Amino acid sequence: MLSVNFQKEFRNGGGRSFKLDVAFTVNHALTVLFGPSGSGKTTILRSIAGVVVPDSGKIALGDRVYFDSSARLNVPMRHREVGFVFQDSLLFPHLTAEANVLYGMKSGKDREKRKRVQELLDLFGILHTLERFPRELSGGEQQRVALARALASQPALVLLDEPLSAVDVSTRSRLLQEIVEMQRRSNIPFIHVTHNATDAVRAGDWVLILDQGRIVQEGLPLEVFNSPHSVRLARAVGTENIFAGTVLSQSGDDGISLLDLKACQLAVSFNGLAPGTPATIGIRAEDIIVCRERITQTSARNLLQGIVKTMIPDGSKMELVVDCGVDFKVSITRQAVMSLSLQPGAVVYLLIKASACHTLS
Amino acid sequence: MIWSAFKLSLRVVSLATLLVGVTGTAFGFLLAKREFRAKELLDSVLTLPMVLPPTVTGYYLILLLGRRGWLGRYIYRMTGWSVAFTWEAAVIAATVMAFPIMVKSARAAIGSVDSRYEMVSFSLGKGEFETFFRVTLPLAIRGLVAGLVLSFARALGEFGATLMLAGNIPGKTQTMPLAIYEAFISGDDREAQFLAVILTVTSVAVIYLTNLLSHSGDRA
Repeated sequence: MLSVNFQKEFRNGGGRSFKLDVAFTVNHALTVLFGPSGSGKTTILRSIAGVVVPDSGKIALGDRVYFDSSARLNVPMRHREVGFVFQDSLLFPHLTAEANVLYGMKSGKDREKRKRVQELLDLFGILHTLERFPRELSGGEQQRVALARALASQPALVLLDEPLSAVDVSTRSRLLQEIVEMQRRSNIPFIHVTHNATDAVRAGDWVLILDQGRIVQEGLPLEVFNSPHSVRLARAVGTENIFAGTVLSQSGDDGISLLDLKACQLAVSFNGLAPGTPATIGIRAEDIIVCRERITQTSARNLLQGIVKTMIPDGSKMELVVDCGVDFKVSITRQAVMSLSLQPGAVVYLLIKASACHTLS
Repeated sequence: MIWSAFKLSLRVVSLATLLVGVTGTAFGFLLAKREFRAKELLDSVLTLPMVLPPTVTGYYLILLLGRRGWLGRYIYRMTGWSVAFTWEAAVIAATVMAFPIMVKSARAAIGSVDSRYEMVSFSLGKGEFETFFRVTLPLAIRGLVAGLVLSFARALGEFGATLMLAGNIPGKTQTMPLAIYEAFISGDDREAQFLAVILTVTSVAVIYLTNLLSHSGDRA
């Protein structure tokens, strides 16, 4: 178990300062540290690794104390046994893939070490890179060698700082899967820093969400991403629609409240707010269904008529802005755009489940 | 006279380049990778021989190392030997004059090595020493070699400080630049020309070699 509890203040010009104040424990095999850029993710990793020295606090992996300000203890990086993988692989450019992996291996017979390197590279399916130099490798191969290098040093903990962000899309999900497999096989904790929500959900046993230097929410990935607690967080995890309104009415036991957004009303599933109180909700763009006809027999509690204002391609998806009095951002597949023959100016109906509207504090 | 000047220059310059290579790289590393107070002040002091007139540097060296110098008097008292007017003085003069160039080159070369490579090395359990020799040095090698070549050239051309500290004793402290001066003054144009040609050819060869080295380095 890794327990992290420290404070660190950074001062930059003009009296501005950024304060990192975090306390969390990592009990899970693959923990994702998620947050917008500038929230302090990398600094946390660097503090755990021993690159950054906190002002105060304590960092310990099990009974191995890495840093303890009250005991004036700061174990140097090279004695922490922490494997670090960066977003650009940082393979030593003057060494072959084999020499890179060999570099951090503990003492042992040369032949055995070489054998171990081959086994590791084989596990990642990149045995052919053995004698190549980093510049001769693809981005995905480089990251695999970097992972192999970190694992070969037999670390007690592996830190991944956005290891997938420089890798092309086709390799991305395979590499992510390999990271999960490597974690399961090695059975040491991995901490994966990312700002990609999909990666976090796909390959995280637990998610810590960081915002402005603090851990603001943690939990199982799907739970956290489906119900962010605050507006800032919702933006961070990619909840595209955020609306502020006032509670109009609350009907008895059915758990549905009516929220007034001035230009339209939304049935949302939350309780306990008296009529007249302000409330903020978030709706993910993928959670909205687009219809060309008015559908009445449906479980969705909201049916809004609107006009398509803009359409912006986003990979295999299309992001629509639909004007229903207020603008809704909707994400649907390009195929759906084709079959509904959507274009700017088209009249559409949006179906939104009450439970897809998340309350934000 | 020509032959002895050539041999002496060769000996003085190789020794000076070696000394400058080691100390200049060490100080370059300090300035590039360490944060400490008065860092830029140290840099300025180390650069001084580059901006001061060589004779002034030579004068300071006499004040420091001469028989009655701040340091020289203790050396003299203990060993009965003084550096002034010996061939070692020419080495010291050349070293001091070439030192700033090496420090500047080494600071730039080592500073341009992404410190995250060193971080990776530490995270793989390696200490400062091993990290320097196995990561920083190989990654900075081209800049360092370029600095060495410039230092070599500077040491080879050294005149003023050498004249002050080592004097101009044929066969003992008379390096090639001093020999050219003396040959020219005494009207021996042929000898001056010959020495000038040797120096020019050596310089061209050194630059050519460095270029070869740095181009073959493109693939590494």
